[in-house]
Amino acid sequence: MIRFIRPFRGFWRTIKFIHRKYKKPKIEMTPFVKASLLALRLYVLVLIGLMVLKFILTVK
Amino acid sequence: MNLLEKIFYRLRKYSKALRMFALVAGPGIIVMVADNDAGGITTYTTTGAQYGNHLLWFLILLGPVAYLVQEMTVRLGAVTKRGHAEAIFDSFGSFWGWFSLFDLVLTDWLTMITEFIGMTAAMSIFGIPAWMTVIACWILMGSMIMTGSYWTWEKIVLVISIGNLIYIPAAFVVHPSVPDIIKNSVIPNLPPGGLTNDLFFLLMANIGTTIAPWMLFFQQSSVVDKGLQEKDIKFGQWDTAIGSFLTVIVAVLLIIVCGKLLFGQPIDSAAQAARMIMPMNSYVGTIIAIGLFDAGFLGAICISLASSWAFGEVFGWAHSLNHKIKEAPWFYAYYFFDLCLAGTVVLIPKAPLVLITLFVQVIATTLLPPALVFLILLLNDKKTMGALVNTRLQNFLNISIVVVIVVLSTMYGLSTLFPNLL
Repeated sequence: MIRFIRPFRGFWRTIKFIHRKYKKPKIEMTPFVKASLLALRLYVLVLIGLMVLKFILTVK
Repeated sequence: MNLLEKIFYRLRKYSKALRMFALVAGPGIIVMVADNDAGGITTYTTTGAQYGNHLLWFLILLGPVAYLVQEMTVRLGAVTKRGHAEAIFDSFGSFWGWFSLFDLVLTDWLTMITEFIGMTAAMSIFGIPAWMTVIACWILMGSMIMTGSYWTWEKIVLVISIGNLIYIPAAFVVHPSVPDIIKNSVIPNLPPGGLTNDLFFLLMANIGTTIAPWMLFFQQSSVVDKGLQEKDIKFGQWDTAIGSFLTVIVAVLLIIVCGKLLFGQPIDSAAQAARMIMPMNSYVGTIIAIGLFDAGFLGAICISLASSWAFGEVFGWAHSLNHKIKEAPWFYAYYFFDLCLAGTVVLIPKAPLVLITLFVQVIATTLLPPALVFLILLLNDKKTMGALVNTRLQNFLNISIVVVIVVLSTMYGLSTLFPNLL
């Protein structure tokens, strides 16, 4: 069993490593960059929310 | 220096520049021609059949737009020597990095399915069953990439790109009205009936086929894999400009052909257009079918590579076409996995292919605005770009393009999800 799990554990370790490696954004956080990223977060949240809503409505 | 010497000096200078260009050219032409993929060909045939030559000006306008967006990836790739996925991870952190990678992978895979739908539909016109087309494509696409040399791969793909120009003779065969084409190319106008929901959908589909997220990832990674330097940027820009010219030419000519032969008839796909044209003009029908296959083939190769490069950059795998399979096993494994998965879906009986096509548009809509915003921000980061940051004019043009695309694509996404909302 462990033999089958081992590659996935390795994969998970890689994901965690990538996550740590790129944890801090390296771009200079000017007000323009901050505002753009905030707007982008809102945009993505609204769009994902709408997709979930559409999914729920379709399933119903 | 006498006249003859001056002429000789000039000719030598130009021939040297031309040789340099021949060496650097490739990524821009390939990405732009591959942009006219199976979905793109379907969009153009539908545009021509539904609105004739009325929207030619819009397609011509999209050429410079595509150039301005893609040109940024040339500079970014040449300066940073990093692909787009890695650049996003590094500059914006892991949250946006994972978001972009996941979105790219999903969009690419779904778009690949539409490429296989296009290829199998095109070959079915010649009586070739879908399973045979899919297997033949797997073998061809696999053998192309196993050369272990970016240069060889690029030359093969450039030859395939020439196949996309097959629509040029078709436009001459149908004898379209030249004054009408010139008028509709130069003067912006809306078709009779004005801006309807159908027209808005088609305009957005045309934008979506001209500027796609995978193109940003592909060209930047391609520039890095090819090893372009900062001194090569000028040639890379020419390469992209020629590519955007070719993509517009193909789109315009296909619209002209379908506007002439199918005007007013409802068209759902390019394969259907080819079938309908066959009895009228078998030569043009065959050209559309072959062109559709070529477009799907080229699109599938480039889209699959865009994902493989992105994964390689982020996961730290060897990810160059200059590597042999043994040297970059995960890079090639992902490429084949992507191809096989997309091709298999098309072979599943009663697979929801129409739903998949619709889903591609919605998902692509979510990735395009973030990808464009990241591009603009990266191109304005002095720490990253140094002297090659966007100029004021470039910023004005690019930010205008991004704002218009964000607004339109949001409306498009909303109207696809909730058709009665807008």
